[in-house]
Amino acid sequence: MIRLENVSYTYMSGGPFEKKALDDVSLHINEGEFIGVIGHTGSGKSTMIQLLNGLLKPESGKVIIDGTDLSEKGVNIRDIRFKVGLCMQYPEYQLFEETVLKDICFGPLNMGLFQKEAEERAKFAANMTGLPEELLDKSPFDLSGGQKRRAAIAGILAMEPKVLILDEPTAGLDPAGRDEILFKIRDMHKRMKLTVLLVSHSMEDVAKLADRILVLNSGRVEMFGTPSEVFAQSARLREIGLNVPQITMVADRLRAAGADIPEGIYTVGDCYRILLPMLKR
Amino acid sequence: MLKDITLGQYFPGDSFIHRLDPRTKILIIIAYVVMVFLIQNFVGYIALALFLALCVAVSGISPKCLIRGLKPILVFIVFTGIFNLFLTPGEEIWRWGFLKITVEGVRFAAFMVLRLVFLILGTSLLTLTTSPIALTDGMERLLSPFKKVHLPAHEIAMMMTIALRFIPTLLDETDKIMKAQSARGASIDSGNIFSRAKAMVPILIPLFISAFRRADELATAMECRCYRGGEGRTRLYELRFGAVDVLGWIYMAALLAAIIGINMIFGKF
Repeated sequence: MIRLENVSYTYMSGGPFEKKALDDVSLHINEGEFIGVIGHTGSGKSTMIQLLNGLLKPESGKVIIDGTDLSEKGVNIRDIRFKVGLCMQYPEYQLFEETVLKDICFGPLNMGLFQKEAEERAKFAANMTGLPEELLDKSPFDLSGGQKRRAAIAGILAMEPKVLILDEPTAGLDPAGRDEILFKIRDMHKRMKLTVLLVSHSMEDVAKLADRILVLNSGRVEMFGTPSEVFAQSARLREIGLNVPQITMVADRLRAAGADIPEGIYTVGDCYRILLPMLKR
Repeated sequence: MLKDITLGQYFPGDSFIHRLDPRTKILIIIAYVVMVFLIQNFVGYIALALFLALCVAVSGISPKCLIRGLKPILVFIVFTGIFNLFLTPGEEIWRWGFLKITVEGVRFAAFMVLRLVFLILGTSLLTLTTSPIALTDGMERLLSPFKKVHLPAHEIAMMMTIALRFIPTLLDETDKIMKAQSARGASIDSGNIFSRAKAMVPILIPLFISAFRRADELATAMECRCYRGGEGRTRLYELRFGAVDVLGWIYMAALLAAIIGINMIFGKF
C-alpha cells in the first residue's frame, strides 16, 4: 500500500540553516495495517507523513502509494491526497466554515462530489468520530476543544481515504477525550478497513493500538516491528530519547530482580497472565 | 514558497555592520533612502551599488540570501518597469499599435526599477544585520525626543517589536494551514485569479482567528508580568555610541558628498 524507497529530505537546502530531516528511509506498509510512529521531537515523523500525501516532495528516492509513484509525471497529486487522508497536528485550527457540517463537507466537495453525497458522507464521518448530530449546524468555533478535534478528523474521514494518517490526534486533550478519540480511531480502522498511521508521543497508546511500530531517530528508521519486538529493546529506546510503556518498565524491573519474565511485555493483560501463575506458586 | 520571504529575518553575526548602534544604522538607512531618490544619473547608482556591495561584503551576509529578498516583490518590480516603459510620454523610439516606447520611458523605467531594488536591498541588509529588538530599541530612542509633543514613542516601538516578532510565527502558521487545507484537496496554486481568491478563504479565516487568539494570549501574558507601558521603564542594555558608529557616520557623509558631487558633475542622464 505504502512504500518508501531510499527517501531523503532536507529543509532549507543549501542555506545556513540546512537540516536533514529524512535520510535514506525505506519501508513498506501493508494495506489494513495499523502503524504506530514514534520518535523524538525532530526525528522526521512530520516530514515523513507529509511526504506520503505529496505535501512535500522527496529530495531523492521514491514514494509509492497504492502502486503509484508520486514523483512520476502526470500523477494528479490531489487524487493522492484524497486517497491518503492526513490529519495534521492540532487540526482544529483548519476549521473555517460557518457550520460544522459545511466544514466537514469541504474535502468531499473538493473531490467533485455533489452536495447531497458530500453531506451524507459528512454525517457518516461525524458519526464515526462520535460527534453528536445536533452540533453539525453549529459554528465550529462554538465547539469545545475535543469536539473541534473530532470535527477536524471527520473532515478528513469524509473524503473516505484508504489511508488515514493522524499526527498526534490526542495532543492537548483531557484523558477522557483522549481515550475516546483513540477508541474511535481503532473502531474506524476495524470497520472501514483503513490503513492507519498514528504518530504519537504516548508509548501506551501506540502499544495498545498498533500492529507494528515504526521508530524514527534523526531521520532514519531505527526499528520497525511488532510492539513486543520494539519494546524488548528498552535500553536502546531510552538512548534515543524515547521510553517504553510503564508496564514494560515494571516487567523489566522484575526481570532484573530475578523473576522469570520474557522480554517485550507491553500490555497490562500480558503482564497479568504471566505474573498470576507465578504469584500463585 | 513562503519560506522565501527574508523580510524581517535576522542573521546573527559580529561584523562591523552588526556592531553599529541601531540608531546609527537607522539614520544611515534614512540617508540611504534619501540618496536612492536623490540620484539623477546612472553614475550615482554605480557609486551606490559599490557602497552597498562593500557593506554586504563587510557584513558577511551571503549576497544570495540578500537577493532572495527581492523574490516576493519581483512581480511588483516587473510591473513598475513595464508601466513606466510604455506609458511615459516623450520622444518616441519604437511603436507598435498603441504601445510605444519613449526615451524618457526607458530612462524612467530603469530608474524606478533601480530605486525599488536598491530600497529593498538596503533595508533587507538592515533587518538581516540588526536584531528586531535592537531595531525597535533604536527606533524608540530616536523617537523619544518627540515624546514632548505626546508622541507615544515606547508604545510605537513595542507595537513594532510585536509585529516583527510575529512575522515568522504567522508565516509558519500560514504554511501549516495551507498544508492542512491542501490535504483536504484545496487547490491553492492553480486556477484563474477568481478561483484563487476564493481558495484564500479557507486559509485566511483560520489565520485571522489564530492571530486574534495569539494577540489575546500575548496581552494576558504581558499583563501577568505587570506590563504597564513605557513610564519609568529601565533597560538591561543601554544603547551607547562607540568608535564604530563614528566611522559609520563618516562613511555615510562621504557617500552623501560623493552622490551630490556626482549629481552636480554628470547632471541628469
